[in-house]
Amino acid sequence: MEMTDQIEQTARELGDRVRPQIEQARKKLTTFNDEAVSYIKENPGRCLLGAIAAGFIIGRIARR
Amino acid sequence: MEPTESSGAPNGQRRTEDGGSGRNTVGARVDRINDTAQEAWTRSRDAVSNLRESLDIDGRVDRNPYGMLAAALGVGYVLGGGIFSPLTARIVGFGLRMGIRLAAIPFIKEELLGLAESVGDGSGEAGSKSRRAKQSNINKGR
Repeated sequence: MEMTDQIEQTARELGDRVRPQIEQARKKLTTFNDEAVSYIKENPGRCLLGAIAAGFIIGRIARR
Repeated sequence: MEPTESSGAPNGQRRTEDGGSGRNTVGARVDRINDTAQEAWTRSRDAVSNLRESLDIDGRVDRNPYGMLAAALGVGYVLGGGIFSPLTARIVGFGLRMGIRLAAIPFIKEELLGLAESVGDGSGEAGSKSRRAKQSNINKGR
């Protein structure tokens, strides 16, 4: 019983310690995603041409 | 008749010894080439903008930016000749294996549930037999 309480306490402490970092990483990822989407929407031609070029290069490399 | 080009004119400038009677010089040719190039550029820009409007690329990018990027990447991959490559074979094979496994999950789940039920009832073989009989009855009904 005491052992279980100790494990529970440790898990809770670990969760409290890790939760802010996870939240921060989530916010950063969300911001990055929003920026990427807005950039793609602002420059669709450039992004599509870049993607086609990247795919072309990958295809060339894969063909070897 | 095509007017002859004046010789010895520096930098394609028109010589004035004929009094500017419309002789075609190198400068005039350069101007014509420039005009043609500008016209070609304008036409190609119009063609590209028409294509973008007809395909509604901007709208599609607005609605699904990552999907359009992935599609463009795929188009580039195909154009680069990667479609009949070992990498494509591996990707397709992996996708097929995963698809077959995902499709098999419901059947396996059903079998396991049936097995668990029959074990819970304490009549393993009997339960399985009865389920098979039910299934065959259903099939006969079809």
